[in-house]
Amino acid sequence: MEYPKQVTTIQAAAILISTVIGVGVLPLPLFAVRSANTGAPLVTLLAVLLSSSGLWIVTKLGMRFPHQAFTQYSEIILGKWPGRIGSAIVILFFAVLSSLAAREFGEVVITSVLKKTPLEVTVILMLLLATLAARNDMTTFTYINHLYLPIILGPAILIVALSLKNANADFLLPVWGNEPREILNGVLIIAALLQGSFIQTIVIPAMRKPQNAMKACFWGMFIVGFLYITIVIAAVGVFGPEETKQLLWPTLELAKTTTLPGNILERLDAAFLAIWVTAVFTTIFSSYYLTIHLASRLFGLRDHRMLSLFVVPFLFAMAMTPQSILQMYQVIEIVGKFGLLITIVYPLLLLLVASVRKKRGMQDGG
Amino acid sequence: MSFWQWMKYRPTPSSQPKKGNRPQQIIPDRYMEQHSEELLTGSLDEARHFIQTVLGDNDDLITREFVIFGQFKAVLIYFINMIDQEVTNNDILKPLMIAPPHYVAGTIELQQLKHVLLYETLYHSMSKMENKLAAIVDVILRGQPVIVVEGLDEAIIVGAAKIDKRAIDQPLTEQVIRGPREGFIEQLGTNITLLRYRLPTSDFTVRSKKVGRVTKSRVAICYLKGIANDALVQEVESRIAAIDIDGVLDVGYLEQFIEDNHLSPFPQIQNTERPDKAVANLLEGRVIILVDGSPFALIAPSVFTQFYQTTEDYSERFLMVSFIRLARLLALVFSLVTPSLYVAVISFNPELIPTKFAVAVAGGRAGVPFPSVVEVLLMEMSMEVLREATLRLPQQVGGALSIVGVLVIGQAAVAAGFVSPITVVVIALTTIGSFATPAYNAALALRLLRFPLVFFAGMFGLFGVMVGLILIVNHVLSLKSFGVPYMSPVVPGNYEGMKDTVIRGPLWWMRRRPAMFHTPNRERIDEGVVDTLKQTPHNTLDPLKVGNARWEQPDGISKASDNDSSGSNSH
Repeated sequence: MEYPKQVTTIQAAAILISTVIGVGVLPLPLFAVRSANTGAPLVTLLAVLLSSSGLWIVTKLGMRFPHQAFTQYSEIILGKWPGRIGSAIVILFFAVLSSLAAREFGEVVITSVLKKTPLEVTVILMLLLATLAARNDMTTFTYINHLYLPIILGPAILIVALSLKNANADFLLPVWGNEPREILNGVLIIAALLQGSFIQTIVIPAMRKPQNAMKACFWGMFIVGFLYITIVIAAVGVFGPEETKQLLWPTLELAKTTTLPGNILERLDAAFLAIWVTAVFTTIFSSYYLTIHLASRLFGLRDHRMLSLFVVPFLFAMAMTPQSILQMYQVIEIVGKFGLLITIVYPLLLLLVASVRKKRGMQDGG
Repeated sequence: MSFWQWMKYRPTPSSQPKKGNRPQQIIPDRYMEQHSEELLTGSLDEARHFIQTVLGDNDDLITREFVIFGQFKAVLIYFINMIDQEVTNNDILKPLMIAPPHYVAGTIELQQLKHVLLYETLYHSMSKMENKLAAIVDVILRGQPVIVVEGLDEAIIVGAAKIDKRAIDQPLTEQVIRGPREGFIEQLGTNITLLRYRLPTSDFTVRSKKVGRVTKSRVAICYLKGIANDALVQEVESRIAAIDIDGVLDVGYLEQFIEDNHLSPFPQIQNTERPDKAVANLLEGRVIILVDGSPFALIAPSVFTQFYQTTEDYSERFLMVSFIRLARLLALVFSLVTPSLYVAVISFNPELIPTKFAVAVAGGRAGVPFPSVVEVLLMEMSMEVLREATLRLPQQVGGALSIVGVLVIGQAAVAAGFVSPITVVVIALTTIGSFATPAYNAALALRLLRFPLVFFAGMFGLFGVMVGLILIVNHVLSLKSFGVPYMSPVVPGNYEGMKDTVIRGPLWWMRRRPAMFHTPNRERIDEGVVDTLKQTPHNTLDPLKVGNARWEQPDGISKASDNDSSGSNSH
């Protein structure tokens, strides 16, 4: 057997959730408000639906080939070389995605807590953390994502719940936004934040019951979507659409405005950010793991450990390429929108070709 | 002669014989190996010669010559102080010298002798024949007397060894308030007895092995057939069989050879001094490993949750125990993260703590010359030194030392402006937290890991602490003990197993054995028991019913007018 069949349905959902929720949550309300001011929750909902449909395609594809890796079945469907080129682009994209996540969080850290620390240090620390963890096998990958799930969800829900008492429902009306101009753009940008869901391509072959993959995806996406929308509602409800546009990381500001009852901690932002390291770690870790996992399949390596060390310098160089935080967000938007082609359109193409050519992986009962 | 050789040159005293003239030195162990297949021939002299060559240099080897039934020459060979003198005198030598009454002295044939000796003369229950010389020497070394008889091609071994041992007393490292007071001792035999006494079942199996080229320590692998997974038992056996070392002085030696990850700070095999704990683990499907000479038993496989659980947890009420376990877990977390959190908050994010308190902390730290990292590290180091010193010293001095330590570190250091009072509180919390963990080795691991965490905190604040914690947790998640994930049953989640993690569910809740050990027999409590528990109990001594009988005569049903206020129909 090629993969250890270990991952249960709950664990698959946990991997999905902890992968998708990451550093993208911090600027999320800003992206949403920019495109549709008071219609921000609606935009987020649309984005979640868009990326859910993308995930549906990926899962359908994965369930069609429940025992093969993404690289293998894309070769089967498209033929050897086109498939390989497609996989190489996917790998490259996720390498860029993980390096950008590391860079983005590095920026967050040096801007808000470690003001004297050089950016390189925080970026490389996050990358090394992911590298060391990526040396583990699929089982440990699952366990790590599973264990960190409550640590990720807990604080996010807590912050949202505590801040809602300051929220003003008027800020959210009208629901469709005041003359929104860039709804499509906003939907694409936010859907790009959810691209981590592509991790399902390596999770499905390792699932104990691949036929339950759809269930895992549904629940995972449901929880992620719920959290995304509530965060947007909370941020816009507390700050209002115009104020939110002025904030670089509205979610972090949300943490600043909230206090725990009883004043145990005066401010929550530093604590929130500290705990958010876990969420960012799981995101980088997952896309990193996806990268080297698929790469080792593509190159026909038996072990992905060597690769994990080999890739770090490249990721670091890519992470440090954007000159400033503004340029970084421009790059993230471009790369993200381009990535939708890879994570939604390309699988759709594969699925269509596969059903036309009637390609199908080995099926079995378990 | 080079300079180096000249330096090493020592003139040999002329009294010592030169190397060439010296007879070939015999190394007994190798000699025995070379002659491992040699058998007794029936010649007393040859046997004596062999034993003399191997053991002759020992002054405590006694060779007692005597004559059996006045007919056959024989010797009794043993190590003085290792045998039971009384038994040897009364049950071995005495009957051997006097022929059984139904034989006329001097008429026993040589062919008969073996039978007469073994079946009619020796009173001792543990006697057997042996014909290999090497095996005979081995037995003598274990302290049993051996009788070699002229003309017999087998020697008689009598199990009359008596090696002094201490009494069974309370285990010092695992104290309980409620529970058995017995602890393992050094003798393997006694330890197995302690287990057998609690497990009078034919399923309880003890496999024996010898480990250690020189110490030849006996290792016992104990398990319950039908409850422990066969593959696990085989794996344990094969891992132990692979060990080749000169000496095994404690069960900890074995632990280091058979554990899965040798570089991890976390113990992957638990040890215990308590027979009841060992039995409880056997019942869950684990394997117990005992070594002769060590009062500790190994429990394999082990998972992390075990390290904050004690045997007592299962005899107290489940609600209280769950609460206590929560406290222990808190202590565990305290011992790991308190100092680093303190450093991170004080030096990077003082805005987190309430302003009034922050001012107080700053006031306390006003005269302290060091940054908080250095301060905490200094105090932690001195605490470790103090702990180690108190541990190693004789008890009488230890008390005095701890008073000095507490005074010096607690009071004088603060008064001298060397450390801030808050630091002392933090360090005290950490140290006490690490002492509240039942498993010493697990507490040690966390105590070690808090140092890198403090470093991280000093460099990167809360961000660094989180990075450090993630590194630790990732490592823990990658650990396995005989294939059982270290964090199970939490990750991977197992509902049945989670009833016995932080909370300890009522015993009748935990109807099945933990799934992670893949035991072939999972039923622990019969389903019917739960139903019985759910029924309303018989109120046997309900005053209404009991009060109705007087002087063995039924006294009728209590009337509503009775003054019995406790009955339900008394109103």
